[in-house]
Amino acid sequence: MIKISLDPRTKLFMIFAVSFIVMVNAITPLEWGIRIMVTLIPILLLVTEGKYASAFRFTVFYGASLLLLKYCISESSTGIFSAILVGYCGIVAQFLPAMITAWYVIRTTKIGEFMSAMQKMHVPDGISISLAVVMRFFPTIKEEYSSINDAMKMRGISLGGGKVTKMIEYRMIPLMFSCISIGEELSAAAVTRGLGAPVKRTSPYELKMKAADFIMIGIFAVSVIIFITAKYFR
Amino acid sequence: MIEIKNVDFQYKGSEEAGLHDVSLSIKDGETILLCGASGCGKTTITRLINGLIPHYYKGELSGSVTVSDRDIAQTELYDLASVVGTVFQNPRSQFFAVDTDGEITFGTENIGLPPAEICRRKAEVVNELELEALLEKSLFALSGGEKQKIACASVSALMPEIIILDEPSSNLDWKAIGELKNVIRKWKENGKTIIISEHRLWYLKDLVDRVVFLENGKIVHEWNKNEFSSLTSEELQQYGLRPIKLEEKYIREFGGEMFSPESRSSDTTFEKAVTIRDMYFTYKPQKYVLFRKKLTAESSDKYTISIPKLRLPQGSVTGLIGRNGAGKSTFLRCLCGLEKSCPVKLDIDNESISGKGILKKCYMVMQDVNHQLFTDSVEAEVLLSMKSEDKEYADKLIAELGLAGFENTHPMALSGGQKQRTAICSALAANAEILLFDEPTSGLDHRHMKIVGGLLRKLAERGKTVIVSTHDPELISLCCQYLMCLENGRIKYFRKV
Amino acid sequence: MNDKKLKAKDFITIGIFSALIFAVEFACGMLGFIHPYIVAAYVVLIPLVGSIPMMLFYTKIEKFGMLTIMSVLLAIVMFVTGMGWLGGPLIIAAGFVADLLAKKGNYKSFKLIAISHGVFCLWICANYFPVIVTAKDYRKNMLEGGYSAEYCDNLFRAINGKTIGVLLILCFVFGVIGAFLGKAVVKKHFEKAGIV
Repeated sequence: MIKISLDPRTKLFMIFAVSFIVMVNAITPLEWGIRIMVTLIPILLLVTEGKYASAFRFTVFYGASLLLLKYCISESSTGIFSAILVGYCGIVAQFLPAMITAWYVIRTTKIGEFMSAMQKMHVPDGISISLAVVMRFFPTIKEEYSSINDAMKMRGISLGGGKVTKMIEYRMIPLMFSCISIGEELSAAAVTRGLGAPVKRTSPYELKMKAADFIMIGIFAVSVIIFITAKYFR
Repeated sequence: MIEIKNVDFQYKGSEEAGLHDVSLSIKDGETILLCGASGCGKTTITRLINGLIPHYYKGELSGSVTVSDRDIAQTELYDLASVVGTVFQNPRSQFFAVDTDGEITFGTENIGLPPAEICRRKAEVVNELELEALLEKSLFALSGGEKQKIACASVSALMPEIIILDEPSSNLDWKAIGELKNVIRKWKENGKTIIISEHRLWYLKDLVDRVVFLENGKIVHEWNKNEFSSLTSEELQQYGLRPIKLEEKYIREFGGEMFSPESRSSDTTFEKAVTIRDMYFTYKPQKYVLFRKKLTAESSDKYTISIPKLRLPQGSVTGLIGRNGAGKSTFLRCLCGLEKSCPVKLDIDNESISGKGILKKCYMVMQDVNHQLFTDSVEAEVLLSMKSEDKEYADKLIAELGLAGFENTHPMALSGGQKQRTAICSALAANAEILLFDEPTSGLDHRHMKIVGGLLRKLAERGKTVIVSTHDPELISLCCQYLMCLENGRIKYFRKV
Repeated sequence: MNDKKLKAKDFITIGIFSALIFAVEFACGMLGFIHPYIVAAYVVLIPLVGSIPMMLFYTKIEKFGMLTIMSVLLAIVMFVTGMGWLGGPLIIAAGFVADLLAKKGNYKSFKLIAISHGVFCLWICANYFPVIVTAKDYRKNMLEGGYSAEYCDNLFRAINGKTIGVLLILCFVFGVIGAFLGKAVVKKHFEKAGIV
């Protein structure tokens, strides 16, 4: 399978468009068609990237919620079970396309590329540096948290002795102490490598928009326009 | 050329020891080792040279520091970035990017080099330090040694003439230290000026040109290479330094061969024992639909850890050694019941326990002890472990472990060793029978290592079963009565020391 | 050297605390999967739990821009994770106003910090924007599908265009309460340990 690598800027536009489309309700078959299409495109892109498992999971999940919604909503039952089911499926069918697109973008974009795209879009260095730290700290928090969880298990305080406040305190406090000390060392290591120099940061990635990028942007732009006209000029 | 002249320094708002009247000049291309006990000021000297003092760590500074004709106090840190590079102690906290490629180029991006130049330097560094296999990987998936190599590469890409290494081997195993040594050797061949602050001395003895010994913020001694390597172990002990020569048997044991002739013949009969049974564990469990398949002896050859039966001596200290990735940490995690899918059973004092019961009987002091301190005072920390709070007993334990006077101190305000002892205190308070230590001496100086060794012996004398995983041969000779070696998650040998 | 300007170290600190706040949001978000109603409880949960890192954050930098940048980061992460960009302006506005308020007290006056934290917490409501916007159409859809109006109202009782005002007020109130709670925790742990 050919790998279609898109420019990070195109990917950001895709998120923007899909996030917009999921917020407008689809009524006519054409609108539903577009909606399903903009959901299928990121799924297909996931397939070209070789992420079969997640593509499959998303397809099944989205398909199931669409079908359930179609059958449940035409029933006139008011039971609690169907209320919960409708609540779930409604939310899934509505917002899953945005989640899928986001998943695709996050899974297939290197942080370096993303930073480079931010530079191209003239985002100030301060913001892109902070954002890089956010990205670096998500996995760190996960690692630290799981060690803390282990330590709590050994002490038998996972449930904080039954107190919710303790449960939160015992998790948050060591986590914050770790993050702060890692942050101190990270800052020291970063400034000795020139972070904060009064020059524009550069990047080894040279981004170029290719044909595929323009096609994608075209498809998504047209979809957004159709939805806008349908909603406001009907 | 580095010139430190009559420098006095005191950290602001911190009791961390400073420097008193330090003068040191380092010629281009020299390799200098800074040594001395923790808190002697060797890290502070490295910070003077890389500019973190006075630009990052604030304090009172007098005297002058010049590096390559630049007055450090007047030079911004970013201007120093391509003059002085620093590799820090903790591989976990010094990287900025998420992937290896981004980390190698991080410094060059900061100083705004054009993309083509960044790529050229990256290729050069990758080639020189042989990093091809590590490219395009998440830094979070790397071992400590691999992370440290990437840190070296990131520094190298900035092409500084001076490279500082601040206790770079603290968190590394034997093999990784060997690779670190190769990197330093390459830098030395390229004519870089290298300054290393370190506790582990053995791997540096044939690399350094000059050794500077510090005590209480003062330079007390200087040795050249020959004088340094002819120091006797008694002399080193007097200075509180770790040995520079290691006994043959440990070199063989740690150095990769992992073979010990005594292993088969040695006598391992002991009366009181904790018996481990059915310790099977795998990181790649079979796919299951509803019920997880129990791990059993039948397919044990595929498991990460497979120990059908093992007797551990009660009331003694057992050292756990093995290469990185041999399963030492996993073994400890399984033993204290943290891995749920591991069906391990323990026989202690004619009682058989499994599942949750194991968590109550075992306690592991983690490598990063900060993760296991939860409360706002040492006393509360100990009380938290007790079923019914017994203040008197808690204070007794605290005093016994030398923490008297710190009862109301916040555990995070303690030193590393004191934190470790607080964790041990709470393990004793919880009445744990088996105490596990995951590399308790990484980054400790000789004096602190001796304290830890003594402590482990004392715990064993109380009748506790102590198991300590380590890369430090010194610690083994200090306190271990038995030694077990893991390879591929299997027991390679178990012998008396 | 201008000490009022944010430096490299400050950007790193901002990044770390933003990540912590997001971890709190994710943890609460997991609860939201149990039932959509819990989503409405974000306005209580996130200000209270998030106040612990936030109050420490207030003591860490004390320069203008710390909250504004944090809010921009929150907006970007919300956008990239597909949680919609409609809330973006609200998040950034809340961050900016909170920053101004805290600056007025030089990042020292606790009264202003508490109010500032209350305002900052308004960003949480951005979570509801997509639901609010779609809810109306969604309800219509369900009515046409044969559901009773009462039933539909039930489903969206907690979150709709009318209750958003209440949710905003709740965010503010719990933000202020959280400030006191967070301050107590900072005092209990971080001041005692000598970190602040």
